[in-house]
Amino acid sequence: MSTSSHNLDTIRTLKRRRKMAENINLIIFLLPAMLFVLVFIAFPVVYSGFLSLTKFKFGIDKAPVFIGLKGYIERFTSDSLFITALKNQAVFAVLYFSITFAVSLVVAIMINELTFGVQAFQVIFYLPMIIPMSLVGIIFAWLLSPINGFINIIVRSFGHPRFMFDWYQEPQTALVGLVVARSWKMVGFTLIIFIAGLKGIPKSFREAARVDGASFWQEVKFIIIPNLKPYMLISSIWILINSLKVFDLVKVVTEGGPGVRTYTLYYYSWKLAFERRDLGQASQVAYITAAIIILLAIGLNQLFKPETAERG
Amino acid sequence: MKKSSNLAYGNLTRIFFILVLVFALIYIFPVFWMFITSIRPDNDIHKFPPTIMPHALTLKNYIYVFTGMEGFLRYFLNSVVVTISTVLIVLVASAMSGYAFGMRKFRGNQLLFMLVLSVLTIPYIMYLIPIYIMEYRMGLTDTYLGLILPYVALNLPWGLLIMRGAFSTIPLDIRDAAVVDGCGEFRMVFQILLPIVRPAFVTTTIITFVFAWQEFMFASTINKKNEWQTLPVGIVWIRDELQTMAMGKVGAAIILSIIPVLILFFIFRKFFIEGLSEGMLKG
Repeated sequence: MSTSSHNLDTIRTLKRRRKMAENINLIIFLLPAMLFVLVFIAFPVVYSGFLSLTKFKFGIDKAPVFIGLKGYIERFTSDSLFITALKNQAVFAVLYFSITFAVSLVVAIMINELTFGVQAFQVIFYLPMIIPMSLVGIIFAWLLSPINGFINIIVRSFGHPRFMFDWYQEPQTALVGLVVARSWKMVGFTLIIFIAGLKGIPKSFREAARVDGASFWQEVKFIIIPNLKPYMLISSIWILINSLKVFDLVKVVTEGGPGVRTYTLYYYSWKLAFERRDLGQASQVAYITAAIIILLAIGLNQLFKPETAERG
Repeated sequence: MKKSSNLAYGNLTRIFFILVLVFALIYIFPVFWMFITSIRPDNDIHKFPPTIMPHALTLKNYIYVFTGMEGFLRYFLNSVVVTISTVLIVLVASAMSGYAFGMRKFRGNQLLFMLVLSVLTIPYIMYLIPIYIMEYRMGLTDTYLGLILPYVALNLPWGLLIMRGAFSTIPLDIRDAAVVDGCGEFRMVFQILLPIVRPAFVTTTIITFVFAWQEFMFASTINKKNEWQTLPVGIVWIRDELQTMAMGKVGAAIILSIIPVLILFFIFRKFFIEGLSEGMLKG
């Protein structure tokens, strides 16, 4: 009697000990990742949230002065540069979305019909993805440069030199030039999504349509586009969110110019923080940018959910 | 009826081929033109009107990059050190936590995982200022660690996402059998389970490598000195010094700087495309 209860106790202690050892292991397994996330992600989010509620010039003010939401209100009411950045950003997003979405969708649909050369074409369209954005900036600034840029050389050889101009110095074209460069790099990403979606459409759907005498355009309209909707949603969200994170190009190609024509939200926040050293204002812009991005992601997801769910 | 429609499609395919071909040629032109410029002699670059094909070939620009261009080799070395360190730390940390999230049951597993994932929607500009201040105070600006630490943190959630997915497909029996055999948990993870999730390793490596090799915002903000700068910023500095007239030289530097990723791209093309799209689809 006593021995068996003693045995039971040992088993219990053993089990408990093993449980504890397992728990310690678990902590060890999680620790490195959690530490990094805590120190370099969670803390910065909280800290910049705090900074955004203060007045703080780095190296000038001793400590941040708490001002509540006043800074945020100021950004929207009395910061014309912020409004400019917001407008530029909106124009950039619309242009960038249209170009990237349309080009990658059309190219994907065409590539999907090809019987050979598919691999080679894919490599060509994916290639820009491996070139850093800043270097893409250098390449485009050079191609569009009025001195020895290829585009302007072509323009010159066709017409009068007065048609030559510096894309990135003209107020009307600077932002468009940036959009083109960025779309050029990013089309590969969305192309991957669309091609994956197109491959997922069962062949039988299209064969059935063909037997019924559908033209290619009818197939696109009634089979390809409806089946591609979930993928179009994913790529739309991705392109839109991506369109708000513009820094490298602006910094390398235009530095926000001409004037303030290419100030974006990222660039403005960076400029405030690292040139004007105004960490309070910079954090406000960063937080507003983040809010726009997160709301956009959630909103788009909600907006399209019923439709995608309906399709199963 | 059927035959005629097939015929029509054949024509359409041909038209599409031509359209895609023309577009692809225009699309690749910037890279092609940069490459051509980098292997032309200087007098050929400035010839008017320009010719698509060079009249003479020269490796002078490439030799210059290696011998005369100040900074390039150092930037290259820095990029290699920063990228490889980042990739290694991300692999180890995300494999460990991926195993914990994917195969161990513990209270708060789901919640904690969702919390880490929610990080993926936060734009990086939010982290930049606090990380800069933190590193400035700790004396980490203008060091390798100053870039490696944030790069690891930014890539870990992705690595975790991929690794957890891979680990959760492993049947728990394998783990239990190993435990019954008296295999310690760490040995089991690193010797038995890791080989099974090898594809996830490759995907994580590619995503992290491409990020660290291309990163500009953190590098340009945290590092101000030539000694510690990486290629995406360093080459911009070189261009600022040489100006656009020296595009042959800058072009050569750009071509050389993308070769490591290009090699990775061609070796792991399947993983590359899967990895990049996986990273996006789940975000």
